[in-house]
Amino acid sequence: MTDQTTPEIELSEAQASEFWTGKRKQRFWRSIQAILIVLAAFVMLVPIIWIFLASFKSHVEVYQLRLFFTPTLENYGTVFEEPYNLGAKLYNSTIVAFVTVAFAIPIATMAAYSFSRFRLKFETTILVVILATQFVPAVVIILPFFIMFRDLGLLDTRIGLIMVNLAIVMPFAIWMIKGFIDGIPMDTEEAAMVDGSSRLQVIKNIVLPMAAPGLVTASIFCFILAWNEFLFALFLTNRDAVTLPIGLALFRGEEGDLWNLLSAAGIIIMAPMFVLALAIRKYFVQGMTMGAVR
Amino acid sequence: MAEIRLKNLTKRWGDFIGVDDQSLDIHDEEFLVLLGPSGCGKTTTMRMIAGLEDPTAGEIWIGDRMVNDDLPKDRDVAMVFQNYGLYPHMTIYDNIAYPLKVRGTPKADIKPRVERAAEQVELTEFLHRKPKALSGGQRQRVALARAIVRTPKVFLMDEPLSNLDAKLRVTMRAELKHLSRALQITTVYVTHDQIEAMTLADRVAVMRHGIIQQLGTPDDIYNDPANMFVAGFIGSPAMNLINGSVQSGMFITTGGTKLVGIGGPDRESAILGVRADDMSVHDAGEGDIDVTIYAFENTGESTLLTVQWGKQRVIARGDRHLRKEQDDVVGIKLNPDHLYLFDPESGDRIRMGGA
Ligand SMILES: Nc1ncnc2c1ncn2[C@@H]1O[C@H](COP(=O)(O)OP(=O)(O)O)[C@@H](O)[C@H]1O
Ligand SMILES: [Mg+2]
Repeated sequence: MTDQTTPEIELSEAQASEFWTGKRKQRFWRSIQAILIVLAAFVMLVPIIWIFLASFKSHVEVYQLRLFFTPTLENYGTVFEEPYNLGAKLYNSTIVAFVTVAFAIPIATMAAYSFSRFRLKFETTILVVILATQFVPAVVIILPFFIMFRDLGLLDTRIGLIMVNLAIVMPFAIWMIKGFIDGIPMDTEEAAMVDGSSRLQVIKNIVLPMAAPGLVTASIFCFILAWNEFLFALFLTNRDAVTLPIGLALFRGEEGDLWNLLSAAGIIIMAPMFVLALAIRKYFVQGMTMGAVR
Repeated sequence: MAEIRLKNLTKRWGDFIGVDDQSLDIHDEEFLVLLGPSGCGKTTTMRMIAGLEDPTAGEIWIGDRMVNDDLPKDRDVAMVFQNYGLYPHMTIYDNIAYPLKVRGTPKADIKPRVERAAEQVELTEFLHRKPKALSGGQRQRVALARAIVRTPKVFLMDEPLSNLDAKLRVTMRAELKHLSRALQITTVYVTHDQIEAMTLADRVAVMRHGIIQQLGTPDDIYNDPANMFVAGFIGSPAMNLINGSVQSGMFITTGGTKLVGIGGPDRESAILGVRADDMSVHDAGEGDIDVTIYAFENTGESTLLTVQWGKQRVIARGDRHLRKEQDDVVGIKLNPDHLYLFDPESGDRIRMGGA
């Protein structure tokens, strides 16, 4: 058996199938996977990159697919000037999104805690109905909202928008946070009660800290929903309470779409998302997986 | 410092009865063990004492106060949970300090008391860690330290050792015993492990299907079981229960062997209980009965002989130097002072005349 010649490379059928099992097969699928991920990322990032570049181009350069151009910050100035006045819209969006989150998370947390820890009458029904409200197409309920808001004098106000956004984000927030609270062992809470805590102290000292990743996740999620909300803002505002997504529409002028300005505004809309994502990436992943694994 | 009195305590979920109309007085400073198989209502009983479960009926008294309507925090008890119930987001120090902090103990008092409790369970070097970074035994000691950092009226412990490996369990058992003697606080301890019950308890309450079968000292329940369930549950190996009848004062096995004189009236059917330790092994012909060895086991500290006894198999304990083979014939002698007779229908103990 010391024969040094190369063995014949003729695989039998069984050997050939062997070839495709085990490590080799695994490595093959891994590379396919990697390629697909890169591809998906590319598809998702291309428009963003395009917008990013366009926001630094002049109106003329936008339509030239050149990688090299003299970048200008002019667009970022223009969008804040008359007639676009993006500053006011940025202010509206910020207020609406923050206040929505500030109200939604505490209320949703209380609701989620009750759903998770107390057995209520018609509990499942209520939970399903809460979620079901989200399956109603927004266009269907915009008209009643419009009429109601007109009668209440809430049209074109930030308070009105905040209320609408609360209605949008609360169901998601409740369901999400309930998932996290469900994951906190009952033992831990009971131990705290025996140790001398009232129910409120249990929530403050035990539940909230343990659910923190979940609360952060839910907050971001709600913020994004409120920040990007378009349809209701389109119908329920026209001047004073206009938000950023609606503001984008301003750049469709008679002279055509002002892509360079649109892009700058787009980047301004996206910027907080990127900053948020970076700042709390760790929490977010932890939160997402915690909710999922449970 | 308090006694606990349970008066006609019942817990029902729909039709299912968890604890069935039980009354129990636990003395001040007593270490009482609730012992029974899984699902017999031990935890439920304990949770009702802690206030984590509302009784369906009955009263719970701690000291001279009926606590039925008190919240857990107002009952002044400390509990060790089966899964420890530690606070994963707090350090060990904060875990142990929590009962003090939440009850508004002055800041200056907290540190020395936490450190003393940690010292008592040998956790001092881990105080800055989080529970996740501790082993099972260490976590168990954190739960214990959190309980002893205060001086509550009552300790409640729900199978605190059951998540530990066998060796650690023996060590921790001794530590628990030492600690409880030092602290002298009324303790209710739940376990399904009869050795824990025997070694730790001042008194044991043996439970089954939500009913206390017998309440007594470890000696009582071992040597004077109230019924067949207690007899079979306590002791390792389990007590041998032999089917037969009583005729003119003799116990006769179902197989027809005249076994031993026990006195009393004739009975068509009866069950004789005898522990492995109360049977002595002799050469063939020298015992009450000759039997064939079905299996011979050497455990090191003694030998166990499973012998074929008519249609039944019975376990006898032999001297640790005894050496026998399967299928050997030996003589077995029963210790007449430690025989128990039970009614096969009800399982109740039949007290033998004279014994
Ligand atoms: N919340 C509950 N709802 C319905 N049945 C329960 C509940 N808690 C416990 N039980 C039942 O009550 C019985 C006693 O439980 P438990 O006291 O936990 O037993 P153990 O003696 O093992 O500690 C079990 O059969 C259990 O299934
Ligand atoms: Mg239990």
